[in-house]
Amino acid sequence: MTIASLQTSAAPNAVLEKLCYVRIGVPDLAAAAAFATRILGLEPAGGDDARAFFKSDFRDYSLCFVATDQAYSCLAFEVRTMERLDDVAASLQALGLRPRRGEPQDCAERRVKAFVAFSDFSGNEVEIVWRPLVSGWRFFPSRDTGIQGLLSVDVRSTHIAEDEPLWTQIFGAEVSDRVGDGCYLRIDDMHHRLSLHPSDKAGILSINFAVEGIDQIMQSSYFLHDSQSRIVHGPGRTPASGEIFLRFEAPGGQVFSFSTGMEMLRDEHRTRQYRQAAGSHCLWGSQSLLPEFGALEQMGGR
Amino acid sequence: MIELENIQYCRLGTQDLEAAEIFATRVLGLEVSARERNAIYLKSDHRDHTLCYFEGSPEDQCTAFELQDEHTLDAAADILEKQGRPVRFGTADECESRRVKRFVEFFDPSGNKIELVCRPLMSGIRYHGMRDAGIDGFSHVGLYSSNPARDEAFWTTICNARVSDRIGDAPLLRIDELHHTLAVLPGKKPGIHHINHQVGSTDDVQRSNRFLVEQQVPIVFGPGRHPASSAQFLYFSGPDRLTFEYSVGVMHINDEPIYRERQLAPTPKGLCHWGALPNFPA
Repeated sequence: MTIASLQTSAAPNAVLEKLCYVRIGVPDLAAAAAFATRILGLEPAGGDDARAFFKSDFRDYSLCFVATDQAYSCLAFEVRTMERLDDVAASLQALGLRPRRGEPQDCAERRVKAFVAFSDFSGNEVEIVWRPLVSGWRFFPSRDTGIQGLLSVDVRSTHIAEDEPLWTQIFGAEVSDRVGDGCYLRIDDMHHRLSLHPSDKAGILSINFAVEGIDQIMQSSYFLHDSQSRIVHGPGRTPASGEIFLRFEAPGGQVFSFSTGMEMLRDEHRTRQYRQAAGSHCLWGSQSLLPEFGALEQMGGR
Repeated sequence: MIELENIQYCRLGTQDLEAAEIFATRVLGLEVSARERNAIYLKSDHRDHTLCYFEGSPEDQCTAFELQDEHTLDAAADILEKQGRPVRFGTADECESRRVKRFVEFFDPSGNKIELVCRPLMSGIRYHGMRDAGIDGFSHVGLYSSNPARDEAFWTTICNARVSDRIGDAPLLRIDELHHTLAVLPGKKPGIHHINHQVGSTDDVQRSNRFLVEQQVPIVFGPGRHPASSAQFLYFSGPDRLTFEYSVGVMHINDEPIYRERQLAPTPKGLCHWGALPNFPA
């Protein structure tokens, strides 16, 4: 995958432009920040006693840890125009999702010109932002992980029947493939930027960074093993998107992943249905510790 | 000079033919080509067989290379005799048991039994493994050596092998474009260090890794990637503690006149650039 593909822009008439950032609540900001640099290899991008920002690509930042004892996670997408942001707010209002306009100090904290925040039907916090800051300085990784940038986010859903239409109808996302009732959603040429996974709770399941290739995935797998990090899935390969992945846990439990080789879809792609089973989440046969990816299920059949 | 055309088969003695068959078919993924009273023949590609287990001592192992024809076989026997290396022509029964027209047996300077064969049998039926291991075919062996520098000289001056790279003093030797068909590795006594089968893809290496772990087959080394040949690999333990390897993506050397061998360290980093640690039998 080229770096250009990470910057792939949606069509001019698309609602969502790009995945923008992820905000994660952590009880111990120092431990989370150490993880972000020493394990993820991200570059510190400012912060204070309550927040730590990290850069992974052309974005000014793509990950923000927020110090809190509450469970908190939030993902953000960018829209191209203020009119689009107003349209989105009106559509969300009509659905009864009660969108909130970002106050100036909240916009400043997020490094965006304007944003609208809402919770989806499961309670996942989402922010739609306009004019997020981009850095003119290239990303310089803290560790040689081969990171190319923020690629996609996997989200838990307790109300998948309502959440999928929210993304497809209000935000113009298209379903690339389905695993059980879960779905991979695309907003540009990449197989997906967002995936929804049926679960008994809400929250971000995994934050995925693209890396250069299989060498970087496997090197990180041995590195994480040696550093006694908790690998929760992989190394493995996703049947639907073709990604080679490695999912691992940060202190506090948030899962991150490195990924390479996500397919780009062409116009003639037709949505495929996979069964909800461990084998539909890894074709190498790796067992996940996450129930959403088929934990504790016997693989068999190989 | 003895022109080795091809690596043809390995023959391995074992005290437990049944266990060897179970491993070779259900774990390694080969296909039974023929089952005889004291031997089992296993197929990995278009050839009649590329591995044979026979009832005998596990220390009785041999590796066979194909020569062009009967004329070159006779010439090879002369060359070896002149080098003071005794040869023995196989009897009719032995030729039949190896599915070859004729062969000579000799021992390399470390004492590894080598057979040079001509007209080995091909198979008209394609290989269909017992499990979907994705095997493309038998590809190379590693042989233990009591003196790798001496053995390198034998394989490169008496035979047509060229050094592709060295890991410590151990040469990786090619006889065609493939990075290596023979690896000469330091060891206390003669024998086969490992037997390699090429597989079709990264997915095959990684799926087999999970399969072998589930089957409680000891993983000896990997999954990893060799800095020398660029191949992704997985080594695991077979009957009589002999190591088998799957690999994919081995480098081809197409610019023979300008290719220059490289020196790698005999350390984990010289053997794997993903970070896997080797655990070969002592």
